[in-house]
Amino acid sequence: MFQPKKPSSMNSHDRSMCVQGDSGLVLTTDPKPRLRWTVELHERFVDAVTQLGGPDKATPKTIMRVMGVKGLTLYHLKSHLQKFRLGKQPHKELNDHSMKDDLQRNVASSSGMMARSMNEMQMEVQRRLHEQLEVQRHLQLRIEAQGKYMQSILEKACQTLAGENMAAGGYKGMGNHGVPDIGTMKDFGPLSFPPFQDLNIYGSDHLDLQHNMDRPLLDSFISNNDNTCLGKKRTSPYSGSGKSPLIWSDELRLQDLGTAPSCLGPQDDSFKTDQIQLTPPNTELDSISEIYDAKPVHSSDGIGEKKFDVSPKLERPSPRRAPLQAERMNPMINRGSVAQGRNSPFR
Amino acid sequence: MAMAIDDAFEVDFSCYSTSTTTTDDDPACTWNDWGSPVVDWGSLSSERDEFQDLIESMMDDGTGFELPRVDNETSNSVFVSIDTAVADDETKGEDFKGLRLVHLLMAAAEALTGATKSRELARVILVRLKELVSPSDGTNMERLAAYFTEALQGLLEGYRGGHSKYLVANGSHHHRDKHHQSDMLAAFQLLQDMSPYVKFGHFTANQAILEAVTHDRRIHIVDYDIMEGIQWASLMEALVSRKEGPPTPHLRITALSRGNNGCQSIGSIQETGRRLVAFAASIGQPFSFHQCRLDSDETFRPSAVKLVRGEALVINCMLHSPHFSHRPPGSVASFLSGAKTLNPRLVTLVEEETGPIGDGDFMGRFMDSLHHYSAMFDSLEAGFPMQCRARTLVERVILGPRIAGSVTQIYRTRNEDESGPWWEWLKSVGYKTVNISFGNHCQAKLLLGLFNDGYRVEELANNRLVLGWKSRRLLSASIWTSPPPSDSGL
Repeated sequence: MFQPKKPSSMNSHDRSMCVQGDSGLVLTTDPKPRLRWTVELHERFVDAVTQLGGPDKATPKTIMRVMGVKGLTLYHLKSHLQKFRLGKQPHKELNDHSMKDDLQRNVASSSGMMARSMNEMQMEVQRRLHEQLEVQRHLQLRIEAQGKYMQSILEKACQTLAGENMAAGGYKGMGNHGVPDIGTMKDFGPLSFPPFQDLNIYGSDHLDLQHNMDRPLLDSFISNNDNTCLGKKRTSPYSGSGKSPLIWSDELRLQDLGTAPSCLGPQDDSFKTDQIQLTPPNTELDSISEIYDAKPVHSSDGIGEKKFDVSPKLERPSPRRAPLQAERMNPMINRGSVAQGRNSPFR
Repeated sequence: MAMAIDDAFEVDFSCYSTSTTTTDDDPACTWNDWGSPVVDWGSLSSERDEFQDLIESMMDDGTGFELPRVDNETSNSVFVSIDTAVADDETKGEDFKGLRLVHLLMAAAEALTGATKSRELARVILVRLKELVSPSDGTNMERLAAYFTEALQGLLEGYRGGHSKYLVANGSHHHRDKHHQSDMLAAFQLLQDMSPYVKFGHFTANQAILEAVTHDRRIHIVDYDIMEGIQWASLMEALVSRKEGPPTPHLRITALSRGNNGCQSIGSIQETGRRLVAFAASIGQPFSFHQCRLDSDETFRPSAVKLVRGEALVINCMLHSPHFSHRPPGSVASFLSGAKTLNPRLVTLVEEETGPIGDGDFMGRFMDSLHHYSAMFDSLEAGFPMQCRARTLVERVILGPRIAGSVTQIYRTRNEDESGPWWEWLKSVGYKTVNISFGNHCQAKLLLGLFNDGYRVEELANNRLVLGWKSRRLLSASIWTSPPPSDSGL
């Protein structure tokens, strides 16, 4: 834990003397006066930081304001805050090191360097590395299993809802798809989890990562949202992979479940377009919906092949066959970028 | 809105108008305990004008909040009409907006529970807060404040004692329409995808279970709150593919069900059971599923659980679900102490990690809760800055109810001394710790690595892993055992 510097002892043996100014700050009398972080001052500092939500959220400027201590400058606070942050997170440094270093350090310290031979230590490190690889492999399998299970839940939920709606006669224009197409539902996942690929390969690869899922709508949103934002290393590794398309379409899909009367296959990107503004009913339509015109579900027709005629206000009619096609993406992309522009000042 | 303003006439601020006392003596001015607001209390001269300025600066956000001018006779009132636009540009910064919201929340919480309670004051402050924030737009801090405002509102209304939208006698959550089950599913799926919170708890527990039952042929898990059973899918997969010990042991799960509440009703538990059976069949895992019904007071009777000789008993306790806080008090304690009499091989406990309790007072824990959920909101945003609608759904369906539950819980237990974490309680009643293995810790680190950089895992005790976001610890997974006493005579 970060320890504040102890208050000066006013000892005449000290080379520098400390004086307490009018503001209550303790400064040294060196040729270049430096601030002493007394216990009280530090406590006020910690107080202020806590109020502001922790060392990660507080800034020197806001701390200065909250502390309200005369004579305290941003410079003082900047360096103190930095030390405080480092002091608070000793573990972070360890996390940053590679696994191997970690292991070697752990093994070295636990086995006692003098007592064991280099060979033994190396074997131990090898063993642990091997174990880690095993863990990696298992983790992937387990995540997939969980994804598969989640999917079965979603399928059943969708079925139930569609069944209920059938009974209620709540929708039309479904053609011969009275029940949601389970086959396409399966396309949802198992959450194709690319944990060990380089998650920075966002831009070019997201199409590849989709394999059986067609999510042109999603692509357009994601690809045209600021790539630099998503592509920042590790900021959102998840969305850098094929995952976020899944998430977004999940949201659309699952919000379908909550409100819209039908569940449809993923090829219906134009349909999903409409869905955006339909769901959820209690939230205000956001700017996206201004772009994609409000269009009720029911007016879709020609479901037989899982295709739709897009609302007349959208400039492009949907082509006969659904899947991922560049031409279809284009209007979306344009809209996507506009949407992004509208949405961007989000904080 | 006008109604609320009228209430202001009745507000009595006499407690705040005493002058020249130091903040230590004044029982009302306990604000200094958790840091001064914008003005340094210590130097406040307590003259009426300065106090007005303080309140004005807290209430004002530049849009001009007008209250009717109060008669001078009620000299204790400090509400005056406030002009628009404080000129200081600095204060318009987001940080200060956030800070102002925090102070308003603190003031409302203090008004509800502090030494000098004033429900009227709390109500006025909450009205003001509701004007400033909304759960569906604004910054993280603003949305967070919206949920905390609702939670405090719930306390305020529940306080009346009668039926309220928020708190019903049996603790079930009625406010808003019950979330569509599909909304819940969607939000849960999203939460799982956007953050490691769910998987961390499940996988850490599962790994510990796997290690504890390596050589067993029969495993019996008693699950306190099975929800959709998602945790067990990955455990089954691991059991089916395990290399050591007897291959593919038989797995039996007993889920606790409650009579009334929707999510844990008998019907929904049965549905979960069916799903698990189907899943197990699909991967070739020998499996059977049972229910154990709890009464409305949720006292756990160990005898109600069927045990089979030779099986390894595991107790699984996930305490961080959205509806968790609506359990009758004593439910968890009854379960865990009852479970101890069964001498389980392993107990896995996952719960929210709170900050240092301090003297356990309401305000301290309220602030802690605020920081807790602030970190969660931040973590979701950091991972998914663009998917705001997805995040809003998760916030509304999962985090919002948790916030309300947390605040209610803190309020309910505010005068009790023992409100520490469950793992401390387990230790105190005699459970023994079980070490977290290297592989388990490794798995957690790998899992977090799949998400955002800001997550980290710490091993805070030899049997406890804690997931945190930046410098805030959020979720604790701990492993225990309660072996039979060695001199048991049969």
